[in-house]
Amino acid sequence: MMAPLLEITSLSKHFGGNAAVSDVSFSVEEQRIVGLIGPNGSGKTTLFNCITGYYPASSGRVWFSGRDVTGMKPDRVCRLGMVRTWQRVKPLAGLSILENVMTGAFCRTRSATEARMIAHEQLRVIGMENVTQKTAGDLPIGLKKKLELARALATGPKLLLLDEVCGGLNNTETQELLEIIRGIREKGTAVVFIEHDMKAVTRLCDRIVVLKSGKKLAEGLPSEITSNPAVIAAYLGTGYSHA
Amino acid sequence: MTKQWAGIAAFAALAASVPFFLGDNPYIADILITMLMMASLASAWNIVGGYAGQFSFGHAAYFGTGAYTTSILLTTSGIALPLCIGAGILAASLIALLTGAIVFRLRGHYFALASIAVAEIVRLTAHNLEITGGAQGLLITDITFGNLDLNSKEPFYFAMLFLLVTTLAISLLVRHSRAGYFLLAIREDQDAAASLGINLYLWKNMALIVSAALATVAGSIYAIYIRFIDTSAVLSLRLSIEIILTTIIGGVGTLWGPVLGAALLVSLAEALRTNLAGELLVNSGIITEASPIESFLKNNLAHAHVLVYGIITVLCILNLPKGILGLFRRKQRT
Repeated sequence: MMAPLLEITSLSKHFGGNAAVSDVSFSVEEQRIVGLIGPNGSGKTTLFNCITGYYPASSGRVWFSGRDVTGMKPDRVCRLGMVRTWQRVKPLAGLSILENVMTGAFCRTRSATEARMIAHEQLRVIGMENVTQKTAGDLPIGLKKKLELARALATGPKLLLLDEVCGGLNNTETQELLEIIRGIREKGTAVVFIEHDMKAVTRLCDRIVVLKSGKKLAEGLPSEITSNPAVIAAYLGTGYSHA
Repeated sequence: MTKQWAGIAAFAALAASVPFFLGDNPYIADILITMLMMASLASAWNIVGGYAGQFSFGHAAYFGTGAYTTSILLTTSGIALPLCIGAGILAASLIALLTGAIVFRLRGHYFALASIAVAEIVRLTAHNLEITGGAQGLLITDITFGNLDLNSKEPFYFAMLFLLVTTLAISLLVRHSRAGYFLLAIREDQDAAASLGINLYLWKNMALIVSAALATVAGSIYAIYIRFIDTSAVLSLRLSIEIILTTIIGGVGTLWGPVLGAALLVSLAEALRTNLAGELLVNSGIITEASPIESFLKNNLAHAHVLVYGIITVLCILNLPKGILGLFRRKQRT
């Protein structure tokens, strides 16, 4: 059997005496979409930060593409093919949309001409090919989220980590974005997807990992997760678990 | 981008023809050389400060290291002039590399603070060593280069112009290459930049070294031009700050902003120094030479150019975030 694309084994992250993530293990196969859900403060973003090298993990290991990437700097992680987006968007505010995406594209090419081509292609995929010259900082949140996705894709990733990419978007925008993510998977990129919108997660994901208070509460197919009493309890409170 | 290359070429041609119109006017020539020097320094600073957003408050250290290294080698050894300038570049790059290698491990304002510290270390070292002439400074005599007349201003005008055009060309090349996108990304958001595969540490150091090397050459040319250097002239914090203000007032992060800033501020400093305002008022008959306004202007304004820079900077930061150059750009952008 082939090794999974991303494998996390007993990962923990403590801030002082506070365990933001403790002993979490899961793996992501190639070309899969894995949903990472959990109540606020359950450690989802911290987990992303540990996987991508923004926080050093307190213990445990992260394997990506058969390499131990634990403790590796974020830029190296990206160049190996694992790229993330941000819950609070981080556009390169003073640059144009095209320049933002080109910056991502320079991860895989030295040539400005080639980077421009890749950027245009990604902007077309994301449906922003008509606004390439606008300044990124001036965009509404929906476009900023899309821009960040395009910029991440321009790096040519094998695995995309999306942190609440649908947060703050309306229904139509969310539907559009879910279609785009499905398209990304079709082209061979695996996705790990932090999301609060359960409907979106269950429709899109092949597998779901549930975190609660930094620990893994459950993992399985969407149908298993939605009928898991512990998950229902975590989300809705114990009173609803027998309903 | 082709437009900007044409702009640089046009500027070079225009500036190169100035001495032929000017004839022999050492006063104007001196002001123009100072302008070209400040423009070069501000452009060089702009690569690390404007593009990469890493504010160096110690660029005088590189300027001064160039001035001292070149002067010492010229006066104590028989080494040819270009090699002396090359040695200056090497020495300053080493200082830049040492500073960057240590300080760029940290983020935020640490680099700005450390750059001041390094510049002060360099200044105090030069002030106390024997080889640099200590507080007395260093006199450079008897230098020759080919059959150039180093007592005239012309070679220095062209040397500074060549340096400025080179600095502008490097800036333009950098800005539109992968390196430029990386530096701008670092300026805009370091976390985002790292998430896109950009090695923050590497690229900040690259920007600093290129910037420092260019500032060094300005220092070397200056030393040979003035023939006398001391720490207050070439290593002062004031010079470091003037370089930054020139860039900010002209337009930080832009190609022509530093040039515009230098043209404006050097003219302004000269106008203040010679009490141009007072003279104009007297000559136009508004006030008499004996009036208290004239004596106030003469006694105070002449020494206040740094204060005036400061006021202009505050006004620019509040109203013109893209500097004076931004005034002309605003219409184009939207």
